[in-house]
Amino acid sequence: MAKVNEITVWVRGVLQDKEGRDVMNAFGQALAKEGKFTQMFDNYEDLPDRVLVPLRKYVRYSDAELEHKYLYTNDHPEIVVIMEPTIVKGMNILKGMPDGGILFVNTNRPADYILKFIPNADVLGAVATVDCFGISGVQTVDFSGSEGGVDAAGLGAGIAAPMVGAMARITNLVKKETLAGIVKDVSAMERGYNEVKFQKLKKFHTMSSQHGG
Amino acid sequence: MAKKLPEYGSVNVPKDREVPFGAITPAPVKTQDLFMTSNWRVVRPVIDHEKCTRCLTCYMACPDACWVYNEKDDKMDWIAGFCKGCQICIHDCPVNAISAVPELDFEDGVVRLEKPF
Amino acid sequence: MAQEKMLTGCAAAARGAQLAEVEVVCSYPIRPYTAIMMELAKMVANGELNAEFIHGEGEHAQVSVVLGAAAAGARAFTGSSGVGVTYAMEVYSPMSGGRYPVQMAIADRSLDPPGDFGSEHTDAMSTRGQGWILGWASSPQEILDNTLIAYRVGEDKRVMLPQMTCQDGYFLSHIADKVSVPDISQVREFLPPFKAHNPLSLTCPVSHGPQIRPDQGAPMDAQRAATFFDVPKVIEEATADFNRIFKRNYDPFLEKYKTEDADIAFLIQGAHANTCRKVVDALRKQGVKAGMARPRWIIPWPTHQIAEALGHVKALGVVETSTCYGGSMRGGNLAPEVRASLYDLDERPLVTSFMAGLGGETIWPEEFHHMAKVLTQMIKDKRASQYSYWVGFEG
Repeated sequence: MAKVNEITVWVRGVLQDKEGRDVMNAFGQALAKEGKFTQMFDNYEDLPDRVLVPLRKYVRYSDAELEHKYLYTNDHPEIVVIMEPTIVKGMNILKGMPDGGILFVNTNRPADYILKFIPNADVLGAVATVDCFGISGVQTVDFSGSEGGVDAAGLGAGIAAPMVGAMARITNLVKKETLAGIVKDVSAMERGYNEVKFQKLKKFHTMSSQHGG
Repeated sequence: MAKKLPEYGSVNVPKDREVPFGAITPAPVKTQDLFMTSNWRVVRPVIDHEKCTRCLTCYMACPDACWVYNEKDDKMDWIAGFCKGCQICIHDCPVNAISAVPELDFEDGVVRLEKPF
Repeated sequence: MAQEKMLTGCAAAARGAQLAEVEVVCSYPIRPYTAIMMELAKMVANGELNAEFIHGEGEHAQVSVVLGAAAAGARAFTGSSGVGVTYAMEVYSPMSGGRYPVQMAIADRSLDPPGDFGSEHTDAMSTRGQGWILGWASSPQEILDNTLIAYRVGEDKRVMLPQMTCQDGYFLSHIADKVSVPDISQVREFLPPFKAHNPLSLTCPVSHGPQIRPDQGAPMDAQRAATFFDVPKVIEEATADFNRIFKRNYDPFLEKYKTEDADIAFLIQGAHANTCRKVVDALRKQGVKAGMARPRWIIPWPTHQIAEALGHVKALGVVETSTCYGGSMRGGNLAPEVRASLYDLDERPLVTSFMAGLGGETIWPEEFHHMAKVLTQMIKDKRASQYSYWVGFEG
């Protein structure tokens, strides 16, 4: 059975729900276009109707057909994406991460400062920061596509675009050309791709050979 | 020829999965440590004690009762563990004594949770 | 030309309703089925579906509205989840007794208390016996297909009964998977327009739902019971036609996976059957002759089909994601019916039941392996030591 890789996206409830779904859908669709078997879903176990509550969205991908489809949560995410940096203070976001994982944070603060708040940061292989709010000043709030519906508002019109650009650059899992065909704000995505700041950490050598700056 | 009938079986809830009887939970009278919502905060209300007139508007406005009047020291105490950063107190203070500061500027004040609640 | 899309179960159910060209939709929000109504509302607003979209003030109103619509001769669609299904309980029997073939799309949710969103089948199960055709899907593709098959069966002149097409909340309703969306011309070949039996009409006045005397009650019941003798044949015809037109491979009642020579078998419906299939494969690799049967429709209950498919099995475990408190097996709803189906065989399997996946939790492959061990032990002991095993709570 081929390895199943997990990506968990953390957002703030209601205000960033659409952006979180955009990251998950845009990156997941790009993975699917490049031949991976993917699942993307948000969850309602986190009770997402509450404004500002930390919430998770999930992506799972593999080179072979996903054998176990009905797993409720990502217990071992290799990639964790934080769309609002204060979340690192209050949640154990790296719980279950295997050695050499990557952390993406939407912030304009230095990565070292963010890492101070994470007790188990030594499991990380790398941390990447990208100033999504600075690049795209837009945070869309839209319920289209929530609750398992089909998104009709278009993906990647706001801060999700630079984040998925940054993810494409660092993880090398998808090409930015694939993303350009999926997101609405292509220039923001390209800026995220170019402006992401990347820092290797202690466990960098155990990272998957695909990933790199 | 009587066969031994099957048992009904047994149901034992493991200790780490116990739930209150009928899902009836004690209601907090003053405060409780179950639902610490400090991790909802993106901004923190910071008070300027010089400007504050002790009018107690923030105490009345806060939906989480996070502003408490400290009689001994004659100042407003802020309860970090429950403040969700809704900014109602900032908006309602008649003398603008409270300002919003990004929570990430502070090193502490947030109760870390393992799983989202 | 059929189109391949990645659709969640909710989106697939909405597409099924759109392809069935439903005429009246009544909505009311409850997670997890809400997205079905969100999708249908979008389609109506965009002109992709020409339907009357009514927002009810509650689930009871929802089902009452579609009852009225069907009485006037419209193809009607509604849905609900969890306690919404039980809120509308009063209307299920009039719907079935009045022979209005509306369809209700149910995305399962646990019943209160308290407000658990997780999927349990008890919500739709608690309505069975009131005369609705009832069945579960195990993939978004199957949900779309069941929507069409159910309308075809329910609206058949020999049947005229309402249907509930159910799916596991969250696991199917919210997780997208590949769905082949058929072309409308294929659907029109399969599903003829709805012809109501004596609809409310200005030109030919009829009364629907009048008061009857007690001596008319039994003949009314008998009339409906007699229909259920005919429903299985209609399901077989409809499924065969469906397979032919849409190139699918559905067994009309029971999906049988490696049961022909099985010693132990699972009977399981819904999404978790997909996990079970993988475990059956793993068990076979280990040399255990395991199999799985997945009922697609449980009303009408496939009595003969279960006896024929599983009568030779030595130990049968019914995996239940629903509860029937105080029932004969102190477990769920399916196992007592399975036992009843097997009762008249000269040689019967040992039957037990496993309560798993309750509260919307994942059924882990390890739990299926544990169940397989229990079934294997039953064969050695030559008896079932327990009626039901509450997996994870066995102390």
